[in-house]
Amino acid sequence: MSPHENRPREDGLPQDPQDMKLMIHALVDGELDAAAALAVERRIAADPELAAEHARILALRKAVAGMPRPTVSDDFLARIAAIAEAKGADEAEAGQAATTTAAPQPQQQQDKIVEMRPRASARRFASFDWRQMAASIVLTAFLASGATQWLMVQNAPDSFAIAVANGHRRSLLAATPVDIVSSDRHTVKPWLDGRIGVSPPAPDMAKDGYALLGGRVEVIGDKPMPALVYRHHEHLITLVAAPRQNDVKSMPATDDLSAGGFLLVHWTDGAFSYWAVSDAERPALDDFVARFRAAIVANPAAGSPG
Amino acid sequence: MLAARFAEVVLPHLGDALSLARWLTGNAADAEDVVQEACLKAHAGIAGFAGGNPRAWLLTIVRNASYTWMARNRPRSVVAVGGLADLDDVSPPPDNDADSPEAALIAKANSAAVEAAIARLPDAFRETLVLRDINGLSYREIAAMLGVPQGTVMSRLARARSLLMTDIGGRHHEPA
Repeated sequence: MSPHENRPREDGLPQDPQDMKLMIHALVDGELDAAAALAVERRIAADPELAAEHARILALRKAVAGMPRPTVSDDFLARIAAIAEAKGADEAEAGQAATTTAAPQPQQQQDKIVEMRPRASARRFASFDWRQMAASIVLTAFLASGATQWLMVQNAPDSFAIAVANGHRRSLLAATPVDIVSSDRHTVKPWLDGRIGVSPPAPDMAKDGYALLGGRVEVIGDKPMPALVYRHHEHLITLVAAPRQNDVKSMPATDDLSAGGFLLVHWTDGAFSYWAVSDAERPALDDFVARFRAAIVANPAAGSPG
Repeated sequence: MLAARFAEVVLPHLGDALSLARWLTGNAADAEDVVQEACLKAHAGIAGFAGGNPRAWLLTIVRNASYTWMARNRPRSVVAVGGLADLDDVSPPPDNDADSPEAALIAKANSAAVEAAIARLPDAFRETLVLRDINGLSYREIAAMLGVPQGTVMSRLARARSLLMTDIGGRHHEPA
């Protein structure tokens, strides 16, 4: 079909037209590294046959992606969540029966966590509609495809800070700064977990003057991130918790950041890298950060998915 | 904390688990039974989940549960997936440029037509296509799950897509 059988190319791609087709599939699926992707794209640009195949694969993928997805019914979710509940209770009983000397306290505590969590998430799933499903699918796609972007973002804390500040600014302009309204971390955490599979510590610090309003999902550098929103007097504080990618030690707070007219504090604790942003005064923001860090140290349960 | 881990690893991916089971068993009601069984196994084995992609981990269990379920409930319909030499052939799809439809025709296909076309695919092709295009797993994850080389995954995927294109593109309407 094309003359390249007689004229070997130097781009390292297969000479066989059928193998070349596999490369186009791999390109569409994001399975090629940058060099190979560039070479395949050049071949596509030069060959109308390959371009047509590329267009067909893209069209097909879109058609397949456009099919309705099965919905997770409340009833079904409750059944699955009940597995963990029932088994958790069994294990706790078995554990207590087998080792009467073993401290029963943690077992009971585990029971409590077993009960709370699935119910909380069942309640949140109950409010799924197709828009939220679609949004979560889009977010999952971002999660899957954003790795390279994410690495770049990691190396550019400045742009990350600006993205955090912009997210905060948008939230102030939006009808509501949160997607899930609740002062109860047992509601906020499963909601975030259900959307993006990540749930940062979410202590309610109302008694310290920082009330937990709820949470939302921020997309920073193509990656969905959990964001918590606290209110302090008339100011809102957005706390973005980026899951940590590498083994950085806990990092002390750096408090001289600002972006887009907002003050930022950045620190790292446990599994998350935190960015707090607010239009509050610097002392208030610093106080919030100190109390938040103290709260997750004092109450690790708030930091675990409980 | 196994229960919490279960809620973190398994619950967010129930939609994907249902999709896969629905395509492997062929109907939505059976899919719920299969996913429930898979979740029991997932719960029992959650301590063995060593990180990585939780979706791929759960879907591997769902796939196994689907075939176990089908062997028990529909022994006649079970095809030895992976045992068919012609499907494991790593040769690329046959050249069908001559009658490949235009991309625009494919784009116009409605959901019902796409769904019917996927249902008509041979099992091994359908499985690979669903894992890639509906569940969004990578070639490497699919190869590990199916226990076949990545080349086989690529070949099956290309052939599955090629069959779908001719089917929904409207040039051929051959019965299954």
